[in-house]
Amino acid sequence: MKKTMLLLALAAGTTLTFAQKKKTTTSATINFDATTPIDALPKATNKTVIASLNPKTGEVAFESIIKGFAFSNPKIQEHFNQPNWLDSEKYPTATFKGKITNLTAVNFEADGSYKADVVGNLTLHGVTKPVTTTATIVVAGKAINTSTDFTIALADYNVSGPAIGAGKVLAEPKINVVANFK
Amino acid sequence: MGLLKKGKHFWKKILAGIFILIAVAVFAIWYIFNLKFEDTTTQKSNYEVNGIGLLNEFIKDDSAANKKYTEKIITVTGQVSEVETADSTVNIKMADTLTDAYIIFAFQEKNIKDANLLKEGDEVSIKGSCSGGTYSQILETHYISFKRCILIK
Repeated sequence: MKKTMLLLALAAGTTLTFAQKKKTTTSATINFDATTPIDALPKATNKTVIASLNPKTGEVAFESIIKGFAFSNPKIQEHFNQPNWLDSEKYPTATFKGKITNLTAVNFEADGSYKADVVGNLTLHGVTKPVTTTATIVVAGKAINTSTDFTIALADYNVSGPAIGAGKVLAEPKINVVANFK
Repeated sequence: MGLLKKGKHFWKKILAGIFILIAVAVFAIWYIFNLKFEDTTTQKSNYEVNGIGLLNEFIKDDSAANKKYTEKIITVTGQVSEVETADSTVNIKMADTLTDAYIIFAFQEKNIKDANLLKEGDEVSIKGSCSGGTYSQILETHYISFKRCILIK
């Protein structure tokens, strides 16, 4: 009986250690959607985003290569990367570093769906601005699947152009980040 | 009378010119809006390289390597180190076990099924558009990203 209890305690300890280790993925996805009623083209996905989540501290982060965003239309992709837009030659990456502020509301050791409040800083086009969002965290065994949606104001990141004024590009594009940690 | 005829002829020419200009502009807009990336399958590789060699080039001088390879079609040969499944996709990785540096390939939508059949240790050649490489602060290693990839073998 004592042996069983000891084994159970050890197993529980191992699970706890596993669950609280920093998790990473190199296949997180960011969907960028700046489509408007008159232009359905400014829309892209980057499927090779690096993301991390530390269940113990609540720290979250992601890094994305700007040229990793794949558009369906080559001209739009060219505009997205050119100097008067995101200038990906000069600013090749976008990064986010933040923290879950209601960590006690998320139980990484119990299967379930949780709402996490995330506050952090997004660096894009060489400008760092605070971002606040709510993420959905689904714990299923060892897997932690996270998803969040927020908008960014392009003007905040010194991104402007006639296409925004003409209503062809959304001034506040929708950003969706999905990261599955195993 | 002759002058009136000449004037009418002149305005006809102007109107025809305006009509042609409008038609050209409409066609140009239609053409740009309907442009699509060419299927990677039919694109010629600008470079054919070995995965570890490519990683070493980026580690040695990522600025020069980015200038050389970014937005170029490249065929990379190497060993699959990981098949990373995520949400709605499957990415293939080739990693250098000494440095943990890696190349990651995101496949064309219609070719994802090919990536799904691969497993760790497979020797493969993958063709795709290089998105560039950089140093990851999160993973503390270099990585190179590819998009619109297809499996050659």
